[in-house]
Amino acid sequence: MISLGVGKMGDQQILQVEGLEKSYRIKKDWIRAVRSVSLDLSAGEVLAFLGPNGAGKTTSIKMMAGLVRPDGGKVRILGGDPHREAPVLRHVGAVLEGNRNLYWRLTPEENLEYFGVLRGLSRRVARSRGRELLDRFELSHKRNAVVQQLSRGMQQKVAIAVALVHDPKLILLDEPTLGLDVEATMVVKRLVREIAAEGRGIILTTHQLDVAEELSDRVAIINQGSIVRMARTQDLIAAFSGGLYEVVMEDLPEAIAEKVVALGALVEGNTIRVPETDLLYGVLDIVRPGVILSVSRQQANLTDIFLELVQGDR
Amino acid sequence: MLEQFLAELKRAWIQFRRYPGEAIGGIFIITSVFYGLFLSAKYIAGPGLNFGDRLDAVIVGYGLWTLVTFVLFDIAGNLQSEAQTGTLEQLFLSPWRASRVFLLRAIANLFVQMLLLSCIVTLIMTLTGRFLSFPITLILPLFAVLLGAYGLSFAMGALSLLLKRVQQIIAIVQFTLLFLLTAPTEEWTGVGRIVGFLLPMSGGAGVLRDLMARGGDLDWGRLGLALLNGVVYFSLGLGLFGWAERYAKRWGKLSGY
Repeated sequence: MISLGVGKMGDQQILQVEGLEKSYRIKKDWIRAVRSVSLDLSAGEVLAFLGPNGAGKTTSIKMMAGLVRPDGGKVRILGGDPHREAPVLRHVGAVLEGNRNLYWRLTPEENLEYFGVLRGLSRRVARSRGRELLDRFELSHKRNAVVQQLSRGMQQKVAIAVALVHDPKLILLDEPTLGLDVEATMVVKRLVREIAAEGRGIILTTHQLDVAEELSDRVAIINQGSIVRMARTQDLIAAFSGGLYEVVMEDLPEAIAEKVVALGALVEGNTIRVPETDLLYGVLDIVRPGVILSVSRQQANLTDIFLELVQGDR
Repeated sequence: MLEQFLAELKRAWIQFRRYPGEAIGGIFIITSVFYGLFLSAKYIAGPGLNFGDRLDAVIVGYGLWTLVTFVLFDIAGNLQSEAQTGTLEQLFLSPWRASRVFLLRAIANLFVQMLLLSCIVTLIMTLTGRFLSFPITLILPLFAVLLGAYGLSFAMGALSLLLKRVQQIIAIVQFTLLFLLTAPTEEWTGVGRIVGFLLPMSGGAGVLRDLMARGGDLDWGRLGLALLNGVVYFSLGLGLFGWAERYAKRWGKLSGY
């Protein structure tokens, strides 16, 4: 079981998940879809839940939302169990993957009112919350257009607005930027940041690792049903970045290259790769007074880390 | 609960009003099927025939069959289309029980359906020249029939939740339904009489026939049994739906089509 990280705001625990287990029977075989998944989420925190297809992300998210019953373990949303106490679902808003999540024959305003009432608001409050959200999401001019006539990006904004209409504390976003163009992706990213800043806890799954890197405070990487790594996003990137520096020279004579290699660095054309910080100054002394075009520290990105962890696990 | 019912009613009304082609098509098909049958019967019987009260009873039976068919497939049809379009899981994210959401929705849809049915019955009455009277006591056996219909509707909904595709089953049930609503079980004797009381909706339909076709008074004893029958089937349907919901959550079958 993976230990829990400390939340961003650290004060209010929105979600606690402990030892979630789920197995499915496919023909005669039992497949363990989720194994001992534990995590927590604090107010204002964004946790990116990453993993290859079939790793157990969506099943885990649905167990957190009360849509799939776990075989073992527990889920607590603001202390309540969504599988036993239905009112706890008032604290949950979700945009699920591959789903339209909306009634396409209704307008955004009508969807917001309907789902607001379905989540326990009065029609009056649902209407007024709906209008606020449409204004905020810059959709007011489309309030009376039926959803099926809206662009994919606008539909996704409406789906997020619907997930927020009852003012939930926990937001589950399964692939929120899937199929969106660059502009719509930027808008959704901005909205996710704003929603988190309001003190909501957000769990998002995505295959777009740059999106996860940009938005998340923490990442949990899941593979074959188990969380293989959970850490603060920046800590994880730093840990995988190591101490590798790249020094690019305008020109690198062979004699100097040999000295540099003898010191322990690698040379490729006019580029010197220095594996440790301690060696960097020795290398700089050797190349002096040659012209240095750039010195940079190699930064790992979430994609490299993800591939290393997931492939290393196979 | 009233707020939720009104929200469902508004949703049903908007969809009806925004896409009137479907409703008008339905009215046209149901009315023309009846009128076709009526003209055929008239042709076979020859010019001297007077259908009289029997035609009234047939019109009532046809209207009832239309209504019950609608109720019966409302929940299953809704579940199937919501699973297809992807809104089903959002309904299960509600703090209310799914059975409550679907029952309120089915009743809201029934209101809209009643409007269509009034158009159909008015058209049929105009075409046949027979004008029915609607005694207020009709409501009680109709309620008994609808209770049974909603019970079966939840049972069909349970199947739909587990299997998602239930078209074939719907086709079979539709014919069985015609039997249940038209078989004169009130005239059966011996074991057949007991079976008649046990069959869903059949008792209520019999009381309706008595009131409408035979000009009889309301038989409170039989109405009581019909209501009891309705309550039992309604409870069974709800129970089955609850079980199917738990099963679907256990095996992750809520989404997908």
